[in-house]
Amino acid sequence: MSFFASKNTKFRTQGLKFDSVGFVTGFLLLTLLPVLVQSNNYILQVFTHALLLANLALAWNILGVSGSISLGHAAFFGAGAYCSAVLSLEYGFSSWFTIPLAGLLAAGLGLIMDLICLRLRGAYFALATLAFVEIPRVITDNWDELTHGSLGLVGVPGLPSLSLGTWSVDFGSSITASYYFVFAYSLVLLGLVRFLFNSNLGLAFQAIREEEIAAEAVGIPANRYRLLSLLLSAYFTGVTGACYAHLVRYIEPGLVYGLHFSAIPMIFAICGGRFTILGPAMAALIIYPLNQFVFHPLLPAGHEFLYGVVLILTVLFLPAGFWGSLRKVS
Amino acid sequence: MWTTAVVSGISLGSFYILMALGFALIFGVTRNFNLAHGELVVFAGYVSYWLWKVFAWPFVLTFPVAILATLLICLGLQRLFARLCEPLELNSIVLSFGLAILIQNSMLFWFSGDYRLIRIPTLSRGLRLPGFYLSYGQLTLLFLSLTVIAILYILMYRTYLGKALRATIQDKEAAAQAGINVAVMGTLAFCLGAILIGLAGPLYGCIHYLYPSTGHQITLLAITITIFAGVGRLGGIILAGWILGLAESFAVILYGSSWREMVAAVLLLALLAFKPRGILGKGEQ
Amino acid sequence: MTVLQLKELSKTFNGIYALSNIDFTINEGEIVGLVGPNGAGKTTLFNLISGRLRPSSGKILFEGKDITGFKPHAVCKLGISRTFQSSRPFSRMSTLHNVLAGQVFGKGFSLHTRPEDEQMAHELLDVVGIAHKAETLAANLTLSEQRRMDLARALATRPKLLLLDEVAAGFSPVLVKQAIKLINRVRERGVTLLIIDHFLNLSQKVADRLLALDHGEKIAEGPPNIVMKNREVLRAYLGMRYQNEEY
Repeated sequence: MSFFASKNTKFRTQGLKFDSVGFVTGFLLLTLLPVLVQSNNYILQVFTHALLLANLALAWNILGVSGSISLGHAAFFGAGAYCSAVLSLEYGFSSWFTIPLAGLLAAGLGLIMDLICLRLRGAYFALATLAFVEIPRVITDNWDELTHGSLGLVGVPGLPSLSLGTWSVDFGSSITASYYFVFAYSLVLLGLVRFLFNSNLGLAFQAIREEEIAAEAVGIPANRYRLLSLLLSAYFTGVTGACYAHLVRYIEPGLVYGLHFSAIPMIFAICGGRFTILGPAMAALIIYPLNQFVFHPLLPAGHEFLYGVVLILTVLFLPAGFWGSLRKVS
Repeated sequence: MWTTAVVSGISLGSFYILMALGFALIFGVTRNFNLAHGELVVFAGYVSYWLWKVFAWPFVLTFPVAILATLLICLGLQRLFARLCEPLELNSIVLSFGLAILIQNSMLFWFSGDYRLIRIPTLSRGLRLPGFYLSYGQLTLLFLSLTVIAILYILMYRTYLGKALRATIQDKEAAAQAGINVAVMGTLAFCLGAILIGLAGPLYGCIHYLYPSTGHQITLLAITITIFAGVGRLGGIILAGWILGLAESFAVILYGSSWREMVAAVLLLALLAFKPRGILGKGEQ
Repeated sequence: MTVLQLKELSKTFNGIYALSNIDFTINEGEIVGLVGPNGAGKTTLFNLISGRLRPSSGKILFEGKDITGFKPHAVCKLGISRTFQSSRPFSRMSTLHNVLAGQVFGKGFSLHTRPEDEQMAHELLDVVGIAHKAETLAANLTLSEQRRMDLARALATRPKLLLLDEVAAGFSPVLVKQAIKLINRVRERGVTLLIIDHFLNLSQKVADRLLALDHGEKIAEGPPNIVMKNREVLRAYLGMRYQNEEY
């Protein structure tokens, strides 16, 4: 039985072998990447960022699978980034501690969002998320004592180090080490998402997405489960934000709360396949490097138009996303 | 100080009305949210700026060209929106989100990220009145907005075409049953919306710096005003625009300009949470 | 034993009474037909019992317990399930998973699907006759198959009382016969049934008792042959084109 070919999946069994092939290929390529590119730092950085975005896309889709489209997930990303950055920079806590904690702050923010948006569905929920992200952004921007406002935080401590007996590695010490840190996190998150989606919770999330009223009628408390998907989604988005802060070591409100981190994970999730486990990650790992290596050099300004085009094409022609459609065909 | 706040609030609000009308009209008739709205306004502003700066056109003459350019783009957009299936509101949001990114990056490519401003010195001069100062710019905004609203009112409430539009806004299916060509109404809404956007853009370029990513804020304002007013209520939009303008003005005076950006967002969230049918409670959701 | 008791149940919308003062009892093992013309309040009654709407006044008692105002998922967990007038399948999920959702969440919750649950879901698909469509996407089922899946899904929640909303609407005589067979099979499993039947092509043949509504009020109750001859009931249906097909 390969990684995805489990009969216990809550997604239709068609296309499972395809998932396995995709995952194994991706896993091998990514594990060996530093070797394959002879430690070319630029390429490694691009793929580190791609993995980060893949994590964001996976986290976004935890909410997406229950039917809600969020246009403002950067609220959680930025909150996580700032929480971890401030705690480790100003108070000296280790990032092993601050990163998970940052996720909790983001989840708390998610709870607030749920309370506000309790009765909103579909388009109106999406609009609310668009507005919601402004609140933590403006607060962070103005809370100078804590966050240095629009100047941003400089010198954020790097990724943590791990010591097991005599062997130790500082993940912040080199680009390769950071790459493996983020890659390991991606694997963990992917495993969690797979576990979640294949469990009965995944069944509930999909039912809520499809027909909330019928879901309630068969005993699924829709609001509670939607909240759960939002909290989980916010938590992992926040954790990813924290990783980002320690990776790039400089953050400012306009960036971490910006459209880039709201839009791109969502685009990868939708274009990859909202109804699949692997799709969002696949889209991130293919489209982002494509953009960086091909389009960015051609168009230094405006190369991100690619994301707009991909989203438009997906909405109009391939609603199941490219990975979702490939699975169907396989 | 308070009179200044009120004056600036009303004139700003009048401008917001102008900016929001196109969005509200398109949404009302076609049930399509156009999240690229702000980017289109900025685009129109850029067209005007380019003609004014590079070709030294008089500012007033740039308006027709900006309007025409926006019209062409909007007709293209309408083709895309027409291909969407249910649920229209959500799908249009996602589609136009992609369009916004596309347009924003195109502008980044053509015009670069530098801040641009259409400087019309006349607009800064003004009248010194008891207690406050009224610039010609503010006066123009007020006058222009009210004129446009009046024209739109006449169109919507005094012509047969307007009646057909209002019928489509109220109930698309029933309007179709009554023999109204709903698709044509949709195209018409996009055209009218484009004209309004083409008007708002150059004005925006006078009173505000133009840069590709500023469209986002404009879209947020338009959404807030449209939801505030409830669908299909013209009067509500006027009220909504002024209230938003005043709210921002007072927020700036009380808390400083750094909190200004949060006003529209908080207002929109409050509306969605408590009164998604519009402030008067009679619009449709 | 009394399964369901409605006491002076009323529901108003903006001051208009959709249901007024309904008093009714359903006993264990019965099949009760809920009849009445358009707008009589039948679906509203279902929505009240299943928890989708809150009554404006009155009480709903299920097996003696007051469930007035309970949310739909709580009502389901207690033992009342329903189908909907227009089928509400989980479109992008397989037929099996549709029924599995009911099986897993109908009573309690478990994180992982147990083999028994999946087996039960397969069995239920077999009971309603669509076992061969287990892996088909629910959106690709025919109308009749979707209706049967709805029934299987509702049965998967192990209800004591099942509310069927227009289960035979639009059915040809052949399909109606199949529906009657299914309903009897459901009854054999020990489920009490309340069936909305707008067209009367089903309930007359299969119900023990009928409850007739008109304009939100109870106008008759009793055995089918008596209720259908009731003057009030006939008057309610007069003026409506209605065909009584003989089988």
